[in-house]
Amino acid sequence: MIRLGLRLTLGSGREAALRVLVTAAAVALGVGLLLASLAGVNGLHAQTDRGAWLDTSAQSSRPASTSGQLWWLSGTDQFGNQEIDRVDIAAAGPGAPVPPGIAHLPGPGEYDVSPALMALFKSESANELRERYPGHQIGTIGAAALPSPNSLIIVIGHTARQLSQAPGAVEVGAIQRTPSSCYACQNTGGSGAVLQFILVGGAVALLLPVLILIATASRLSAARREERFAAMRLVGATPRQISVVSAVEAVVAAVAGVAVGFALFFAFRPLLYHVPFTGAPLAAGDLSLRWTDIVLAVIGVPVAAVVSARLALRRVRISPLGVQRRASSRLPRIARIIPLLAGIAVLAYFDAAGKPGAVGGQLLELLAGFVLLIVGLVLAGPWFTTAGARLMASRASRPATLIAARRLLDNPKAAFRFIGGLVIALFVGSAAIGALSSIAAASSSGGGSAGRGTLAEPFCSFSTSNCPASAQVPSVPGQVLAGLRTTPGVRSVTLVHQGPSQAEQMKSFGVVACNQLARTPAIGKCAPGETVASVGYFFSHLLGHNSHASSTIWPSANMSVASAARLPVDAVVVATDGSPGSLERARTTLERDFPFQGAAVAVDAFDPSTARLLTMIQDMTDVVIVASLIIASCSLAVNIAAGLGERKRSFSLLRLTGVPTGLLHRVVALESALPLLLVAAVSIVVGLVSAALYLHSQVGIAFSIPGIPYWATVIGGLAVSLAIIASTFPLLTRMTGPEVARNE
Amino acid sequence: MNGANSSSVVGGGGVIVEARDLVISFGETPALRGASVSVKRGEVLAVMGPSGSGKSTLLYCLAGILVPDSGGVSFDGQRLDTMREEQRSRLRRDRFGFVFQSGQLVPELTAEENVALPLLLGGTHRKEALRGARAWFERLELDGLERHRAGEMSGGQAQRVALARGLVAHPDVLFADEPTGSLDSLTGELVMSLMTGAAREEGTTVVLVTHEPRVAAYADREVIVRDGRVTTIATVAG
Repeated sequence: MIRLGLRLTLGSGREAALRVLVTAAAVALGVGLLLASLAGVNGLHAQTDRGAWLDTSAQSSRPASTSGQLWWLSGTDQFGNQEIDRVDIAAAGPGAPVPPGIAHLPGPGEYDVSPALMALFKSESANELRERYPGHQIGTIGAAALPSPNSLIIVIGHTARQLSQAPGAVEVGAIQRTPSSCYACQNTGGSGAVLQFILVGGAVALLLPVLILIATASRLSAARREERFAAMRLVGATPRQISVVSAVEAVVAAVAGVAVGFALFFAFRPLLYHVPFTGAPLAAGDLSLRWTDIVLAVIGVPVAAVVSARLALRRVRISPLGVQRRASSRLPRIARIIPLLAGIAVLAYFDAAGKPGAVGGQLLELLAGFVLLIVGLVLAGPWFTTAGARLMASRASRPATLIAARRLLDNPKAAFRFIGGLVIALFVGSAAIGALSSIAAASSSGGGSAGRGTLAEPFCSFSTSNCPASAQVPSVPGQVLAGLRTTPGVRSVTLVHQGPSQAEQMKSFGVVACNQLARTPAIGKCAPGETVASVGYFFSHLLGHNSHASSTIWPSANMSVASAARLPVDAVVVATDGSPGSLERARTTLERDFPFQGAAVAVDAFDPSTARLLTMIQDMTDVVIVASLIIASCSLAVNIAAGLGERKRSFSLLRLTGVPTGLLHRVVALESALPLLLVAAVSIVVGLVSAALYLHSQVGIAFSIPGIPYWATVIGGLAVSLAIIASTFPLLTRMTGPEVARNE
Repeated sequence: MNGANSSSVVGGGGVIVEARDLVISFGETPALRGASVSVKRGEVLAVMGPSGSGKSTLLYCLAGILVPDSGGVSFDGQRLDTMREEQRSRLRRDRFGFVFQSGQLVPELTAEENVALPLLLGGTHRKEALRGARAWFERLELDGLERHRAGEMSGGQAQRVALARGLVAHPDVLFADEPTGSLDSLTGELVMSLMTGAAREEGTTVVLVTHEPRVAAYADREVIVRDGRVTTIATVAG
């Protein structure tokens, strides 16, 4: 039976060969995408593993002995929008562990830098970057310790006495070698678990349309194959034997597809290094495959292909007397849109009722709302297709519109099936990009030009509860202030003092003299007539904080300017002219003047790792949207070809009677484009509305429409989809020629 | 029956379609080897012959669907064989009607929409086209089937709907290729009776391909095609 199956698969004419070819191509695409995604996850792991040492902390590495200890302080600095990992170390004994990538520990006044940072030292002015770090360079950090070839890392040596006084410095007995489980660790090239979730989510979002494409391919010239199976049943073949013959074809296509998929992956792997898998370039060899990945692709995709093909033929029952279709002719009911409306209602309710206080409530809103919306879109899709087709049929005055609308009304579920995966990708993509672009817009507009050019250096008394008394800043010396004020590009300096009581500290950032606050408008202002204000948290943040500090009028602190000035300093806020050079010079001066206090951050901008994560999510979303659109269009094109096989007689007879081929082209284009465009529009609108409701209720940020790149991606993707649909026109012309009517 | 050889062509001022010395091959297989025939305005002509004789190919050449390798076809004084495909398509749409053996209705459309299709193609407004189409339902005994789809009708009903579609735009010539080939004899007779009756009322010329003498009996005249040549032209008695 297997031999017969092979004979029928390989020798049943051009249509059968085309079906095997298209199925194999779809499987190849699926295998290629899966391998690329798995390699991306492996690349992420490779980066995380190499950067694990940066996560070294007292918790992760207990001292092995008192003699083999190392003082360790790690933090992040920034230059422009690039993140610099800074590690301050000091040997506490003779056997102190040495971090990877360097031969020995740098001594006091020495440092090792990564090659990319060394290049930056050379290309940038010393007062904008190099002067932040005390001492001189003694070597470069090797590739084994760099998460990415362009990682900016510096390891600075100190005396143990000096570093032990630094806030946050810990004693460690060994360097961490395995990645931390802490998903939010910023030092390992972004949030590992979040990135992995995005990569896996992206792979699933792409594999779904591929499986639909495989299912569609199995329908190509299905009628002829089913007739053949019916003839076999008539002469005594059992349903099981028919299944074997049918499975042989699927397996042949799958085997060919897996082979081509691997070939594609290895051929295009050099290009994959340009895909923003983790937001940072990968090192050569990072996109490798493990044997489990290979087994998954070799077995998983073909099995999914066979299952998908079987599901596509599920509605067909082959009996000896022919083929019976189990298609239901009932049109989708309006009840199908209830889950979608419920999803919007959940988000709207939370918007009206306000942000749920507990984290559980927020999670419930997020899950309940978005799961309902995704399920709702998939369920409502056929109804929207029906509604659109009904409208088109009732208004149709041209034959092409009428035929296309009637065809859609015949089986709206089938018409929608091919774009189901696309709907999810477009919804998730639109919601994600809608939210991200709104956050970015709110961030850039929050403090105006002043906000973008204002830096704040928060001291440890604010930023950590474990702040040694020695690290507190009772006051800022006059010459330090003078040095800051005379730094080129600096306009003014404001000191934020610690709140007078512990209770005050918990709910506010500190107190500030109004005459100083007036010179740094990016962090808000005082009410008229006040002298000292109690300022709240004024940093822009991804979620949950006020990002419009510049428009905030802070309440009075009820104390005199002199009393405030006597309080310890909690932060230095520096307003610059906003130029990149001025910002970096001010940052360099602040870091030099306040060593071990962490890096100064821009008041109204994301920290580089958050910005990089957001950019990476946007890039990946764009990739998923475009790829889903193209794969969905391939499904549509294959579906058109399969549909033409079923209709070629009636189409060719129409052509004989003088119907122009242009009309048939319009029929096919309308049938495919209507559900595609209609459902794409619904997905985009629902995605953006849900992003707006979520942002408003949870983050307190006003929604702003995504920018031109998003629309260019969507419109470009749709244009490519329509072009793929149009590519079937020559096939239509050829399949409906006069000879078809004669020979059928 | 009046016998005639292949070279004798009925001519005269009343001729609407005329073919001379048509030769056409499909690959190595010759289908017509010098066939000539002419059709008078308003007459019902039956083209008969055994399977594979070339009678359908002759009909396709007369209708401008196929272009002969040599020889000429003219309709109403215009040469069809030298026209561009677009011109021939327009002519088929505006001046000719067609009825085939089966599978000619657009399955997605209702019966009345199928009948209205040629009018819609000609630019008639939808309401008007449907009104024009409905008039044929009573005439062809199809009352009540207006909203039915192809799959919901019997073979005879579908064939009458196809006939209505072939005649709705008042064509000069109706080409019918084995119009009763898939029908039982009684239904076939009904379809033929309605077709010839309606065509005569409309003054439409009919070129009918069939291999059944009972169907050919509805024609005014019949020609017989053998081995790619028109060998016999006869006037049907009665």
